[in-house]
Amino acid sequence: MAGVRLEGIYKKYPGSDKASVTDVNLDIKDKEFLVLVGPSGCGKSTTLRMIAGLEEISEGKLYIGDRVVNDVAPKDRDIAMVFQSYALYPHMNVYQNMAFGLKLRKFKKADIDKRVREAAKILDIEHLLDRKPKALSGGQRQRVALGRAIVREPQVFLMDEPLSNLDAKLRGQMRAEISKLTKRLETTTIYVTHDQIEAMTMGDRIVVMKDGFIQQTASPEELYNHPVNIFVAGFIGAPSMNFITGTLSDQGGVVKFKTTGVDVVVPEGRATALRSKGYVGKEVILGIRPEDLHEEPVFLEASPNTIVNAHVEVAENLGHEMYLYLNGIGADTVIARVDGRSTLRDGSSVKLALDMNKVHLFDKESELNIFEN
Amino acid sequence: MSTTDWLTPLQHILNCQVRFITFSLSDWKGLVQQADTSWAHDDNRDKVTEGNRAANNERTWIVVRVTGNSVEALEIEGELKQAEAELITWTLQWNQSQQQSVKPGALSESESFAMKLSEWIQQQLESEEPSYSIPDHLTAGGKLFAEMIPFLLVTEYTNGKQASYLELEKLLRSFLAEDILLIPLKNQEWLIWGPVSLLKEADSEFMDDEDEETVEDSLSSICLGLHEMLASEWIGECHLAVAHPVSPAKGIVETTVLLRETINLGRKFHVGTSIHLPWMLQLERLLNAIPEVQRSRYLEHALKRTELFVEAEMLATLETFFSLDCNVSETAKKLYIHRNTLLYRLDKLKQETGLDVRQFRDAVLVKIILLLYKVTKRN
Repeated sequence: MAGVRLEGIYKKYPGSDKASVTDVNLDIKDKEFLVLVGPSGCGKSTTLRMIAGLEEISEGKLYIGDRVVNDVAPKDRDIAMVFQSYALYPHMNVYQNMAFGLKLRKFKKADIDKRVREAAKILDIEHLLDRKPKALSGGQRQRVALGRAIVREPQVFLMDEPLSNLDAKLRGQMRAEISKLTKRLETTTIYVTHDQIEAMTMGDRIVVMKDGFIQQTASPEELYNHPVNIFVAGFIGAPSMNFITGTLSDQGGVVKFKTTGVDVVVPEGRATALRSKGYVGKEVILGIRPEDLHEEPVFLEASPNTIVNAHVEVAENLGHEMYLYLNGIGADTVIARVDGRSTLRDGSSVKLALDMNKVHLFDKESELNIFEN
Repeated sequence: MSTTDWLTPLQHILNCQVRFITFSLSDWKGLVQQADTSWAHDDNRDKVTEGNRAANNERTWIVVRVTGNSVEALEIEGELKQAEAELITWTLQWNQSQQQSVKPGALSESESFAMKLSEWIQQQLESEEPSYSIPDHLTAGGKLFAEMIPFLLVTEYTNGKQASYLELEKLLRSFLAEDILLIPLKNQEWLIWGPVSLLKEADSEFMDDEDEETVEDSLSSICLGLHEMLASEWIGECHLAVAHPVSPAKGIVETTVLLRETINLGRKFHVGTSIHLPWMLQLERLLNAIPEVQRSRYLEHALKRTELFVEAEMLATLETFFSLDCNVSETAKKLYIHRNTLLYRLDKLKQETGLDVRQFRDAVLVKIILLLYKVTKRN
């Protein structure tokens, strides 16, 4: 088993003005499940393909274990890939599909048989070993693709959106199975997805990418609670964080955040930091997660200086919780997440208290989190 | 380096036509007599040896090989200075000595046969009157008359190592079947012939009759599987094209032309894809045949209305929409956007261009515009 290290990795395609991947530095520990997440075109798949050896590295060094593998062919990197566009070998049955890589490497028949059957048992596909890929469902094919990777017992698994062709229910099931599997096998795994829920539920650590740059690398909790910039803050979390532009002002020694429909007090500890960084009197962007807007009377009583009045445009009741789409707080619609038993409906007026200890404030120009930088 | 690999850069350097031509011994001697200048080793014009030269004001000939009664020569358009002619002679002889330093015994029978077939194919491709039927001595005892599935493999990234014929042949025999034919064409280009039995092997007894695949579907899945295997078990990323089964003895030259064109079209019009299927590139083939001036003019006119077509988000939206047969729900799902967001984008396009891609006629026009944009951008 081995870790993976990327040092100053760049990818630039010939004829292109800018790099697709810029200065990526990552140290992935042995047995870690690392997720690369970001919108389409952010460079996450390109980064994974460079680790796999399917794309040339323009600059920088790639280590698998202690070995620099920049010029090593994919088959010699001791990795196993499960990509979105995985293709099973249509003329071979499931057993032969899984055994092929081992056969090429001159494993003994008995060893091949043992590995294939063990992997098939883990993946619950023992009854499919004689079938050809055409006779398998999407989920079964996905398992065979995983099985082909598992039997290799590689140092590193590389997975690029392996679940994106499955329906939502199956995706949820397979997500859990992949997590269990990689923990059981204790193999370093690098997983690419555009889906932040997949990232948050599966990763030991998550790398958020945008436009070829790493925005932040951290645990799911750290990313959720301490995003370094607006992009990370808005990307992680569903529903997304709300952003409200306003001005910080000092009124009689109390720092307040003000904008249309909002006039709330910033807690003293944070106010001190804002003063020392010179943000009082400036425009900033306030970020607040939907669950940090409270309608409960106990919160309203405890935080009278953070109350806003809003109008419910749409109330979506999901049963266990409700999403309120609100007007009157800043210029744009704000989403609040409240208890499913709430009596609020479309057209209601509501008082909400903002949890000002949980809000984030971002510099308007740099979009960096003022408290995290 | 094969002789063909040596020829192409030479053409580029000299900026003129260069080709191999075969004379009978008597024709060569006649040419030398009529030439304005000639040069021979030992000044013995009766003895024809490699390196002998003849030239007039239109062409220069340099003898490459003499076998029995035939003289193979390099024909170069235009006059060369002496130093140029001597340099070309020297590099040609050096290249040949490099090839000969690989003793005949070091090449396996299959590789030796493949090299001969490769040379013959290259000659037909360069000839003005190519022969489409393989000569008898190259039909492998009649084996090449049977139908086989042709693939063309083009590699890009070799990790600094040359791909080995033996290594690739062994891999393909393990993967496809024992009776495959592997022909190296150019550096990093390989023609692979696999047995048609692969099409039957891809079927499953567990499938209903109504689920049976078309030949194209079967070929496509075999091609995908082969690509997957090559990428992970051989040299890394590569381009692969496949065509319908054909008898190599009768169709090897045309098939090579078709597969090369398919990969070129695929790389031009669909950057980022690695599998290229000729039946999926009909429109691209047609558009590629239109002279560049007319293509550019049409595109300029289309883009004058708006640059919206070529904004990244709109491009991605339209590509996905067309790839999913203009299905709005599936497109929204694939793009991870709300259905209404997609409709808003399509309405915006209609507003700015007058083209509604939900209407067949307009969809065709937009598809053509996008393809032309891609190929113009690449140029």
